[in-house]
Amino acid sequence: MDPGLLGQYLLNGLVLGVIYAMVAVGFTLFFGVLDVIKFSHGDVVMAGAFVGLAAYAGLEHLGLHSPLLALALIVTAATAAMALFGAAAARYLVLPLRGAPPLNTLLATLMLGLALREAVRLFYPNGSNPKPFPRLLPVEAIDIGNFTLRYDSAIIVLGGLAAIFALHIFITRSRLGLAIRAVAQDAETARVMGIDFRAVVLATFALGSALAALAGVANGLYYSEVNFSMGLLLGVIGFSCAVVGGLGSVLGAILGGFLFAALQTAGAVWFAVPAYKDVFAFAAVILVMAWKPTGLISETPAERV
Amino acid sequence: MSTDAQLALEDVVVGYDQADVLTGVSMRAARGEITCLLGANGAGKTTLIRAVLGLTPARRGRLLFEGRDITRLPTHEIVRLGIACIPEGRRVFPRMTVEENLRAGAYVERNSAAIARRLTEVMDVFPQLRSRVRQLAGTMSGGEQAMLSIGRGLMGAPRLLIVDEPSLGLSPLYVKENFAVIRRINETGVSVLLVEQNVRQTLAIAHRGYVLAQGRIAAAGDAATLQQAPQVRDAYFGQAH
Ligand SMILES: Nc1ncnc2c1ncn2[C@@H]1O[C@H](COP(=O)(O)OP(=O)(O)O)[C@@H](O)[C@H]1O
Ligand SMILES: [Mg+2]
Repeated sequence: MDPGLLGQYLLNGLVLGVIYAMVAVGFTLFFGVLDVIKFSHGDVVMAGAFVGLAAYAGLEHLGLHSPLLALALIVTAATAAMALFGAAAARYLVLPLRGAPPLNTLLATLMLGLALREAVRLFYPNGSNPKPFPRLLPVEAIDIGNFTLRYDSAIIVLGGLAAIFALHIFITRSRLGLAIRAVAQDAETARVMGIDFRAVVLATFALGSALAALAGVANGLYYSEVNFSMGLLLGVIGFSCAVVGGLGSVLGAILGGFLFAALQTAGAVWFAVPAYKDVFAFAAVILVMAWKPTGLISETPAERV
Repeated sequence: MSTDAQLALEDVVVGYDQADVLTGVSMRAARGEITCLLGANGAGKTTLIRAVLGLTPARRGRLLFEGRDITRLPTHEIVRLGIACIPEGRRVFPRMTVEENLRAGAYVERNSAAIARRLTEVMDVFPQLRSRVRQLAGTMSGGEQAMLSIGRGLMGAPRLLIVDEPSLGLSPLYVKENFAVIRRINETGVSVLLVEQNVRQTLAIAHRGYVLAQGRIAAAGDAATLQQAPQVRDAYFGQAH
């Protein structure tokens, strides 16, 4: 293949990978601390993008037109709102269902996602139609041969990688990160260490949801468009990435995100019909899962007695 | 008892679901002493510890730590008052390194100088851990995990250390070492509540103790008295141990 075109695919794949990884990390964090799958997570991605959009509309209304200010506001509003939403969902929905069969949590969060989706469709002005997302990143590009390096793509990749790296450092180095990992590995013993279990769960859900909001904003910036149902596919993809990477493993989720994006990109290269790329990627994911049922990075190693 | 009680249980009832496991237990652990709790497998020793730690809150009765009512406190607040536990089966965090496990033990402490000091102290007690600070706890042998679990408990700088069956599943050499370490910990002024099935070695280091049978205290007294008590034999009668 033409190297320029290959570069184009590669860059596109990296953007998708970084977005998927940010979604998948949430699934894996929630599963880690509570052993639950939170199926409203994809819709949190969508809601984050819409909160960003609303914040932008408010800024426009005030007559402020600085792209940098707008970007900072969108990111702050989206992550803060979704962090609060995530903590509230944990506090009022997921934690009360602890002790009930896991299927109940699954259903309840599925319903929560649906409610979120329909609420945006009904109550966001003209919410049932796709909404243009502001182009706040530099639209310039540099041509290297017939490879066009779009600055906005590069910024999304670098920004997303920075966010994921920051999260990784936070989980592995900070005091709260230690508490999150302790709860994930043995919740009861974590409590005996003096760790406030409920507080850790709320913090984890806030963290994962903030990252999902960031993914939603990145998605909006990349495609310059958002719509109320965008969380459906993103949720399923993020979940698949987390499972393929090994549920409970943060590194696995990141790996899964980039793997899925790579598969989609390969699918897009090989098949003339663009829609086939998802079929190809999901089929490949199923094969990986048959080969490694506990994911690429398994969090349940054989423990010696 | 003239000694002042660090931990006191007053007519405590604890159970899971329908059944009560402890049907009214009163006991006390004296400040500065090793108090042991003996009893056959399934007698409810671990359940009693779970009640003290608030993991399975008591249904009735009162639990006092240094005079404070802890009956309804959440686990993390009870621990913050100065209690640490070395749980049954060690329960180290398998996917954390030795050092991270130890730091988890000092989670309540926010002063990093104090944490660093305690790390050094624990490494002095267990020099074997020093060369393994980067090793994942899940890859260590049972004996090494036992050391780590004790070290993790010490990291909390507790005034009361609760130890649940430290010798379970360990080779005689490690068992001996464990009992010696517990005695040394107690000599630094930490009160110990020691749960064991290993009667002879336990009574050799304990000051006084209780025997739990059928959900109640069947015998109590100082170690010398308990050594003669028929209830101790009865409590283990038929045990393969
Ligand atoms: N989580 C639990 N749920 C229900 N019953 C339990 C639970 N843990 C222990 N038991 C029961 O409580 C009794 C006492 O158990 P335990 O406190 O573990 O005894 P010990 O530590 O003295 O061996 C046993 O009959 C056991 O089956
Ligand atoms: Mg027990």
